[in-house]
Amino acid sequence: MATTATISISSDIAPGFSGISESMTLTQAGNLIDIDSTTGFQIRKLSATGAVDLVTMASELVEPKDSVASKIYIRNIGYKGIIDKSVGVTIGVNAEPIGLLYGGDWMVMPLTCIDADDITATPATDDTVVLEYVMFYEEA
Amino acid sequence: MATTTAAVTLASDLMSTNMSVTASTTCMKAGTTADGLDQMEYGYLDLITGDEYDLIAATPTAGKASKLYLKNHSTDETYFIAITQGTQAIGKLYGGDWMFIPADFHDAAGEIAITANGGTNKICYALFHEGIALNASA
Repeated sequence: MATTATISISSDIAPGFSGISESMTLTQAGNLIDIDSTTGFQIRKLSATGAVDLVTMASELVEPKDSVASKIYIRNIGYKGIIDKSVGVTIGVNAEPIGLLYGGDWMVMPLTCIDADDITATPATDDTVVLEYVMFYEEA
Repeated sequence: MATTTAAVTLASDLMSTNMSVTASTTCMKAGTTADGLDQMEYGYLDLITGDEYDLIAATPTAGKASKLYLKNHSTDETYFIAITQGTQAIGKLYGGDWMFIPADFHDAAGEIAITANGGTNKICYALFHEGIALNASA
C-alpha cells in the first residue's frame, strides 16, 4: 500500500532556473512504513464568506495521531466548470490563515492533526466555490 | 507575462479503487487573471538542530498570492523539520517530504519558521511572489 505525490514546477521568472520535479512516498513518522489511513477524497461546496471547518480534527471517525507525518491536499476547483483565478478561499490552521487558494490553485501541506488545529476554509466572496481535498494520516 | 506552473500528481492504493489525481495551476498575482507572479527566491541550505529560523529572510508583501515550495532532502527518514507560522504549528516534513502552499505572510508574525530535529537537515525551498520588502544595507 503506497501513497505518492509528485510535484513539477516550471517557471521563466529567473533565467537559468531549470524547474523542480520531486516525488515523495507518504510514510509514517520516522520510518519507511507507508501511511495507512485517509479521509478519502471529498469535496466541499461553499457559498458564503464565513469560515468553515474543512477538517475538524476532533470529529474524525478515526482519531488521527498527533504531531506525526500527516498531509493534506486541497484544490479550489471552482464551480460547474468555471474556475475564477481572481478570487479565492483562505485556508487556515486553527485561527492562522495560511494563504489563499485562487481558482485552480492547489496545495499539499503537512498537518499536526492536534484537535485544536482544524483546517478552515474562508471564501473571499459568496460566489459558490468547491474545494476538493483528501487527508492522509496515521491512526492514534 | 512571467509564467510559473505548478503541477501535482497524487496516487494512492489505500482505497478499493486506486486514487489518482492530477492538478496543474498557473500562479497568478493576487486578484488578477492576466499577470503571473514575477519574482522568486530559490535556495538550498543545511539546517542545524536547535533554534527556530525564519525560512525567508525578508518579508514578502502580505495578502498576496505567494506560493512556497519546501522539501526536506535529508536521506535519514528519522530527521524532520517542524514548520510553524507565527505561533501556530503547521506540521512536520520528514526526510524526503515536500510541501507546496499558498503563503499569506499576513504580517511580521506570519513568517514561516523551521526547526531541525534529529540532525542537520538539508532543505530546498522556492518562493514565488510579487513583491518583497528588501532590507536596507547597513
